[in-house]
Formats: sequence, C-alpha cells, structure tokens
Amino acid sequence: MNIMIGTVVLMALAGWVWQRLGSDDRRQYAYAAVRRMAMTNLPRMVVALISAGLFAELLPDDIVCLYLGDTAGYRGVLIGAALGVITPGGAFVAFALAAAATSAGAAMPTMVSYLCAWALFSLTKVIAEETVFLGGRFIVLRVAVSFPVPLIAGVLALWVERVFA
Amino acid sequence: MHLLKNTAKIPGPPEPLGRQSAFDRSFVILVSLALAAAIAVAWLKGPMRVVEIAATYLGFLAVLSPKILCGFFIAASVPILIPPMVLVRWVGQDSGLRGLSVATLAGTLVPGGPMMIFPLAASFRAAGATTATHVSFVTAWSLFGLNRTIIWEMSFLHIDFVLLRVLVCLPMPFLAGWLASRVTR
Repeated sequence: MNIMIGTVVLMALAGWVWQRLGSDDRRQYAYAAVRRMAMTNLPRMVVALISAGLFAELLPDDIVCLYLGDTAGYRGVLIGAALGVITPGGAFVAFALAAAATSAGAAMPTMVSYLCAWALFSLTKVIAEETVFLGGRFIVLRVAVSFPVPLIAGVLALWVERVFA
Repeated sequence: MHLLKNTAKIPGPPEPLGRQSAFDRSFVILVSLALAAAIAVAWLKGPMRVVEIAATYLGFLAVLSPKILCGFFIAASVPILIPPMVLVRWVGQDSGLRGLSVATLAGTLVPGGPMMIFPLAASFRAAGATTATHVSFVTAWSLFGLNRTIIWEMSFLHIDFVLLRVLVCLPMPFLAGWLASRVTR
C-alpha cells in the first residue's frame, strides 16, 4: 500500500517536473542525467538490496528481542543509536535491516533511534563523503550539536508509544 | 515563469554534482560484503535460501523501480529548474528562525543522495551561508529528505512508523541549527 501511494505521489511529481522543464532540449538533458544516475546507482542498488536481505536473514531473533525489543526500553534506544552509526551503505541497507529487525521483534522507538543515528552519523557516509566536501571542522561541529538527536527522538518515540499503548 | 526564462539561456545542463563512477572501491567492498553474507547464509541455511532471498529482493526492486526512476528524474531535473546558485541565494545568510526554516525546507525538498547534497552544502558555505543554516540543512536532509523517505523508508516500513519518526524528528534541524549558532557566535 505504502509502495503504491509513494509511486503515485512520485509519478505525479515527476509529471509536474516534466511539464515545468518546458522544452525538449531541457528534457533531453534530464534524460541524459537519469541515464548517468541509473548506470551509477542501479548496480549498487541490486547488490546492496540483496546483501541487506542476506544480512537480515542472519539477524538472530533472540538477540534482537533481548537488546532491541520492547523490554529493552531506554537501553534499546541507546543500542539502536550505536548500531545506526556503524551501519554501512545506502538508504536501502539501513531500511531493509530496520524492517527485518522489526519483524524479528525490535521495538519501534529502538528503530527510530537506529534510523536517525544512521541518517545523521553513518560512519561510511561521514568519512567517505561528508569530510571530502565539507571538511573535518564542520563535521566535528555538526556532530557536537546533533549527537543527542537520535537519543531524543528515540526517547520521544518511547513516550509516545507509552501514551498510546 | 521568470525563473524558466532565465535558465533557458544556459547552454548545457549543470554537470551533476560530485559524480561517482559505477565500479569504484566502495562497490568492490559492497560486493565482498554481499559475498560474505551469501556464504554465511548458504552455510547456515543452505544455498537454496540464498537464491530465494536474492529472488525476493530482486522482485522487490522491480516493484520499486517506477518509484526509483521517478526519483532519478526529479533529482536530475531540479538542478535544471532551480540552478544551484538560486538555491544558494535563497538559503542565504540569515541564521534567525527564518533562515533556519528555509534551510530545513531546502534540506527536505532538494532531492539526491550524499554525492549531490554535500557538494551543494559546500557551495552554500562558499556563498556565505552561516554554519547554523548549514547544520540545519544537512540535518534536515539526513532526517527527512523527501526522496529518501518516499522511495525507501515508506517502501520498507509501516506508514505509522514513518510518520511517527518524522514527527519526533521535526524540531531537530532547528534545534541543531540553533545550538550551532550559539556555539559559533
């Protein structure tokens, strides 16, 4: 269902963008850029998605439940954040793992802190890409002001869950 | 419309920011990780399981492919529709609430992965954006860049989860930007 909603939204957006591009020339430029992006990214996506599935298969359910499950509470939020930082790779890897962990019994607040930590501080992204373009000083500052974010988000999610549970 | 007229004169498309080649070292690392995981799964659960998983996820990728292609198209078109320099001027130098809001909005809406966003963020700085707006922009893109949320997060996770996560994260780019402005003042 989600996938369909997202597809429809994106198709509508793409149609609007296509119309805004106006001239054939500009559309051709866009198509060329799409081809370049696809050539770069599709092989990665295929390999990354399959390996995310394989890693998900290797997740031990009992350990996931113990450390990331409903009983883990605040500790789970902290562990989730730590795991997010060390998860390598693109978006699909983290989301695929989060989905697998959820079906293995991980709690929702834990996954919130996991995904936030991954999005903000994934080591491979920070080291390979952010330092190159933005420099070490900026990253130190950014991490210093935002390192509590995954924990705050996870704890907020925990409270929301408790209120509505 | 005014914007369209201006950019129509540009002879070529802006070069994609920070292009990455398809088969570089990170790809080799990715393939090695995949192979290691495949061997582990084959050893623990039998080789057929590896084939099953690969087929499942390839099928999933096929289901997602219209979304992915639309996402690519939007990401490719935005630099043509809104030249990065316009965006840079737009994000500007204001580090008050307005500046942080614009930076947050830009981080949410501008499509593309890290290889597009970080060079763009670098050009904000070159144009004089404050560190605070900068932090807000990167934080917003990381936490709820629309492209990633719609294409990937919503495909893998329940919509309730996604909404809740976005909701609890909503104040974060402002918070981080505000803290950054206190630290750098």
